[in-house]
Amino acid sequence: MSEAPKRPAKVIKLNVINEPKDSYTGGPSSLCPGCGHDQISNVIVASAWENGIEPHRIAKMSGIGCSSKTPAYYLGQSHGFNTVHGRMPSVTTGAYAVNKDLLYLGVSGDGDSASIGIGQLIHAIRRNVDMVYILENNGVYGLTKGQYSATADIGSRKKKGTPNETQPIDLCALAINLGCSFVARSFSGSKKQLKSLIKAAISHKGFALIDVISPCVTFNNNDESLKSYGYVKDNNVTLHVADYIPNRAPMEEIEVPEGHYRDITLHDGSVIRLETISEEHDPTNAVDALSALHAADAESKHVTGLLYFDGSKPSLIEDLGLVENALIDVPDNELRPSREILDKLNAAFLS
Amino acid sequence: MATIANDFTINIATANGTGSQSANLILLQSLFEMGIPVSGKNMFPSNISGLPTWYIVRLSDLGYQAPGDRTHIQVLVNPATWDEDLEALETGSVVIWNSDAKKEMNREDVISYPVPMSSLARKINPKIAKLVTNIVYVGILAEMLGIDQVALESALSKQFKGKEKAIELNLTALGLGRDYFKDNLSKEDPYIVEEREQDTAKFFIDGNEATALGCHFGGVQMLAWYPITPSSGIAEAIIEYIPQIRTNDEGEVTCAVIQAEDELAAAGMVIGAGWAGGRGITATSGPGISLMQEFIGLAYFAEVPSVFWDVNRVGPSTGLPTRTQQSDITMLYEGSHGDTQHIVLIPGTVEECFEFGWRAMDYSERFQTPVFGLSDLDLGMNRWACEGFTYPEENMDRGKVVRDRDVFEAFEEFGRYLDVDGDGIPYRTLPGSGMDPILYRGTGHNTKGVYSEKPHDYVALMSRLKRKINGARELLPAPLMREETECEVGIIYIGSMENTIQEIDDILEATGLKVSQCRIRALPASKQVAEFIRRHETTIVLEINRDGQLWGILRKELPNDLVTKVHSVAYSDGQPPRARVYSDLIMAKLEEVEQ
Repeated sequence: MSEAPKRPAKVIKLNVINEPKDSYTGGPSSLCPGCGHDQISNVIVASAWENGIEPHRIAKMSGIGCSSKTPAYYLGQSHGFNTVHGRMPSVTTGAYAVNKDLLYLGVSGDGDSASIGIGQLIHAIRRNVDMVYILENNGVYGLTKGQYSATADIGSRKKKGTPNETQPIDLCALAINLGCSFVARSFSGSKKQLKSLIKAAISHKGFALIDVISPCVTFNNNDESLKSYGYVKDNNVTLHVADYIPNRAPMEEIEVPEGHYRDITLHDGSVIRLETISEEHDPTNAVDALSALHAADAESKHVTGLLYFDGSKPSLIEDLGLVENALIDVPDNELRPSREILDKLNAAFLS
Repeated sequence: MATIANDFTINIATANGTGSQSANLILLQSLFEMGIPVSGKNMFPSNISGLPTWYIVRLSDLGYQAPGDRTHIQVLVNPATWDEDLEALETGSVVIWNSDAKKEMNREDVISYPVPMSSLARKINPKIAKLVTNIVYVGILAEMLGIDQVALESALSKQFKGKEKAIELNLTALGLGRDYFKDNLSKEDPYIVEEREQDTAKFFIDGNEATALGCHFGGVQMLAWYPITPSSGIAEAIIEYIPQIRTNDEGEVTCAVIQAEDELAAAGMVIGAGWAGGRGITATSGPGISLMQEFIGLAYFAEVPSVFWDVNRVGPSTGLPTRTQQSDITMLYEGSHGDTQHIVLIPGTVEECFEFGWRAMDYSERFQTPVFGLSDLDLGMNRWACEGFTYPEENMDRGKVVRDRDVFEAFEEFGRYLDVDGDGIPYRTLPGSGMDPILYRGTGHNTKGVYSEKPHDYVALMSRLKRKINGARELLPAPLMREETECEVGIIYIGSMENTIQEIDDILEATGLKVSQCRIRALPASKQVAEFIRRHETTIVLEINRDGQLWGILRKELPNDLVTKVHSVAYSDGQPPRARVYSDLIMAKLEEVEQ
């Protein structure tokens, strides 16, 4: 009797560490259908998978707000901390100080980062905490039903609202001025560019800010809003299309973009390749980066791509002068000074 | 004339930023080296330079450490407070005054020693005359009281640690002061110092430095702090000791230090470190704790180990930032919005500052909750006699952390917030371990850590948290009692009141009362406190604040029949507690209770 022909096994694609993509997904999203944030979550899953990061080595950090709820929707095998409004950077800083060996993947929103959390964002940049900081920026407070945030553009009008008259804070410009070592802007609808930027940010050693315009489909997606899906799609000036080539063998063939490109080497030896639309833009030049932002701003456009990059800055962990092992791996008897040391101190006080 | 030895108070009035603090510490240390029980209180302003400062030195063979009821010897250097200081003196007090200060000496009922301090100082070095002026009055006091020259020189070299030039200059100034008294004045006052044999060797140290050392011997892994008086000394001492006791041969350290942008960030960093499995602490004062409240609630609800030292100063608001108080008790014990309850350790001595320094981290990891150390300005910033620090006998308690997969797999069911042992304390795994990955949150959650608004999940969580913290009552440092056989009046008190309580007790007992003492050293309070109250006819809760915060906490938790037995004596004027003030208030309260 001949064997029945086997049904071909379902092919599960694995990444460089033999993990299926499912190892990187999370719970179902409770955000509004079509929310830009969900697109970003999907890109986070894809980036982590393609970069071959062990899921348990990732720490998902967030504050409070729609964006900060998303860590429940990706990387279900990673520990995470949904902290308090705008104060995710400090919690991450503390965790990083005692365990430098995790990949800290922070997600925040404009309500979180441009208002109560702006001080913490600034100081995390200043210290160059080694983390990815994805800012899901929609110009409104979603969970409290649609108030303007501090990144809402002047003249922007949300549904059922009077136009915003207060000038917005451009967090990319702020970060460049602070000397942030990696500053990028992207759009939740530009999956390819966003994925390249997130993958590059993961490889970057130091603080990487990615300001992702992520339209709020419920409160800020009418045509008068300058952060609506329709508006951004039509007025999105692409500064660079970034593509990312990991130093491990690529899982899939990477489409090399047409036209001019430039390679930038990251800390882990991987290379980010930028396709330069605006040929004169040099991402290592802060003045050019700010000019590009201001020029786009003058025309009410969003410039996207890797705006600024400086790979030479020491990160916080180097400044702390710590032992080689992560502090949480130092045994207790090396943390507590010996009895002899206390005896000596007591004796010195008495002398 | 009969002499009075080792039983008087010296008050030195100078201006901030003139170097008087060094001179005063030399005086204090020299008396200490003679074996005389002595205490020093620095009453300094919130100012860098120019505002009035008083230093109060109390000598007492009975070991009393409070500032005393009155000044016996007044040193007047600061013209700004001259009239006020002079007017406050009782007849017969001694006044050593700077006759170059262009101020009048208008009291004839005091013993007056005019000294041209400024011109004497100018003789040595006109450029630093102001600085030297201070050491001149130490020389005057030394001669007048009979302070031993060897003790003075030893104190001097301790203060200036090997700075030969400074030692030489100050020695000359001391000599000038001594000589001036010998040559130009004759002793008309009764006050003298006498050497005493000490039973045990002791040294002087302030509470903040002792706390800092305690933190190091608890293996603190991260200090995040924001400068604020009177707590900065803790952080500064932690930093100061790192090279000596927390650094390996390669110069690498095992304690990270981050000066935060504010107290909110400092709290966030501490909680981040605790979440990651490390030992993080911060040191602050009341205003900082106010700012940290939101984070404290997160740490309580998400059950993240975190240690906060509060060196209490006078509130509310900016208050009197350089004065002492015990007024943050409620804010710590019930900190943050919603129903909360926190462990608070309250040292009363420098030895306890050290001990609670390391224990705080053990409790925090054991109970997976914020733990507060409550010190105050008086204990933290003034120097106290110390018999030496005791090495922790127990190993570090890292709490219920599952580190091995075998152990993890052995759990029948694992949930971050599942009460496996019935003590309300769940097990946790650490980020990076790959075991039971969960998203910690400040929102409602079930035993698995998953978001939940279900009534039974919320009630179960809140009652478990209550049970968990209540379970700490008898494991925390127990109250210390000194009890009379006749259980007449009991006094419950906390913290630095330890330094005044015996004098209060003696004053009360001189009236025929029998007084027992009970010092609470931790909250939630042990059941022993209720038993103490039950045994005594009347119990006074004595504290340095306006509203009787500790009294309020105890009343809330005592059995009904004991509530009427406890009475509050709470008073604060910013000064370190003087025994007479509080004993008078206690007497008044007891009379009120009698009626």
